[in-house]
Amino acid sequence: MASYPQNFRFGEFVGSLLWLIFWVLIIVTLVGLPLVFIVLYYVPLPPINGEVLTPFLFLTMAVDPSRTIPIIEHFMTTDLFRVAAFPGFTYAALIAAVTIFVERKFLAKMQLRIGPLYAGKIEGIFQLIADGLKLIAKEIIVPSGADKPIFWAAPIAFVAVAAAVVALIPAAPGYVAADVDVGLLAVFAILGFFPLIALLFSWASNSKYPFIGGLRALHQMIAFEIPFILSALSVVLLSGTLNLTGIVNSQIQSYWFIFFAPISAFVFYISSLAELERIPFDLPEAESEIVAGWLTETSGMIYGLIQLGSYIKTYALAALFVILFLGGWAGPDVFPQEIETPIINIAPLYDPVAANATLWFTLKTFGVIMLMLLPRGISPRIRIDILLHTGWYKLIVLTFINIFIALALIYGGILGPGGLLVR
Amino acid sequence: MADPVFIGVAVLTVGAAIVALETRELIYGAIALAVSMLGIAGFFLLLDAPFVAMFQIAVYVGAVAVLIIFAVMLVRTQALFTTKEDKKRKGAGIALMLIIMISLGALLLASGLNGQFGNFNDSEAIDFREIGQQMLTYYSPTLIIMALTLAGSVIAALALARREDITTTSDGGEEQQHGRTD
Repeated sequence: MASYPQNFRFGEFVGSLLWLIFWVLIIVTLVGLPLVFIVLYYVPLPPINGEVLTPFLFLTMAVDPSRTIPIIEHFMTTDLFRVAAFPGFTYAALIAAVTIFVERKFLAKMQLRIGPLYAGKIEGIFQLIADGLKLIAKEIIVPSGADKPIFWAAPIAFVAVAAAVVALIPAAPGYVAADVDVGLLAVFAILGFFPLIALLFSWASNSKYPFIGGLRALHQMIAFEIPFILSALSVVLLSGTLNLTGIVNSQIQSYWFIFFAPISAFVFYISSLAELERIPFDLPEAESEIVAGWLTETSGMIYGLIQLGSYIKTYALAALFVILFLGGWAGPDVFPQEIETPIINIAPLYDPVAANATLWFTLKTFGVIMLMLLPRGISPRIRIDILLHTGWYKLIVLTFINIFIALALIYGGILGPGGLLVR
Repeated sequence: MADPVFIGVAVLTVGAAIVALETRELIYGAIALAVSMLGIAGFFLLLDAPFVAMFQIAVYVGAVAVLIIFAVMLVRTQALFTTKEDKKRKGAGIALMLIIMISLGALLLASGLNGQFGNFNDSEAIDFREIGQQMLTYYSPTLIIMALTLAGSVIAALALARREDITTTSDGGEEQQHGRTD
């Protein structure tokens, strides 16, 4: 039982609550509302129902759905929505969160365990929220002698770089934050930052296990970067563009590239496992050898940020696999062309093409993510010399086989402009 | 008149380069060098050459900067900074740099490039596909020479790494393999 002061009076309790409400009202009226109006004055608002949208109309939109829907529709076309919500950070972070939970349950089922059970009663679905709260509440310990600026900046940079990869991924036709002409190259250029961050963080930790882990991460990521890029090269040859949307469109016009470049797809899958430091390539984090590798000195939310970043990276690489080899958002139409909703008419927000594309893209991406989670349950860690040998000798040769197959397909007139299999 | 983005990128590039030279911590110098190279990639983006910019990032930040940081971490830094630098030498260096930069700039302004500057702004950016096509048709000898140079250097690197006059113990055989595969 919680104790309360001896001179407790219910009237005083109610009075204090009233005081609180009074002060909140005063502050909201004198500071909050003017602040909202100042912000709304500078934010350009779209014309709604033929009239200019004023801050007053904007604030009253909650009571009039005919005003709310066009405002939401307007914001869905802005860059902010693209970056922050749908193909951007929120979508990626949601998929990352689901991946973390699914991974634990999936691995548990593979090993005849139960997995998270208690948080949230039903199969432990709130385990992630519990973990997040725990990580936020934990103390962040900076090791003595650590290089503080790098130690603090590296986890943030890790998440930021992962999110920058996500910004280049198109999830539906037109739904991409940055539709650049050299999208695929940009993805590889940004992925090149990860070994730098891992190395800097491991050095800044001023501890021997992180440093060993960081050196291993560097070896591994650089060894697998070349087969990674080369495996995407055969797709570029087949589609004739570096733009990710263009690659998906060329697959919609012919067939999925996994049928023409299965070896490249395999190499891409293996290399992305290595880039993600997942088992069997988790040497940088080998917990049975070097404590936790380059993450040894992470604690609290620093660990949380790096985990979030690595799962966002998992999503980004799985989505890249889907875009390069599995036809992106291509799939049969399942959503009706028109929908009718009972009370509020949300038809202006409804886009059957985008909904369909999002459904298939998400399903395929999740399939690839599950495929990436699978080796963790069935495979042991491989030795570092075998890893380097695989990366430098075997995978590079395999990608070249598929590049020649792609060239033969194009020069044989089967794919490419005016090819046999192009619809 | 001047583009604010251009000024921002220029300040970033030059400032990071100065930090890379002036900082006492070698590791910060290496990071500043990486930032400076990012700034150069920004210049390529401003010049409508995203292809070159991406390769600038992938090669210079993703590989060269990592290599430099890797080397810096494995070197004892205190041994390198025993002597204090001379103020006269520093002043002379800055003066020399200024003279070179001003004369280069004057040369560029005096050459024909300056007169066409107005036209460059409006003209269409050259597509990287076009460059690739030219590279494989008209300029193919250049490509072949570049390929031969690169292949020669790779073969030379492999030959240096596979030197057989260095005797290794049975334990060091692994090390030898590392040196080669890296």
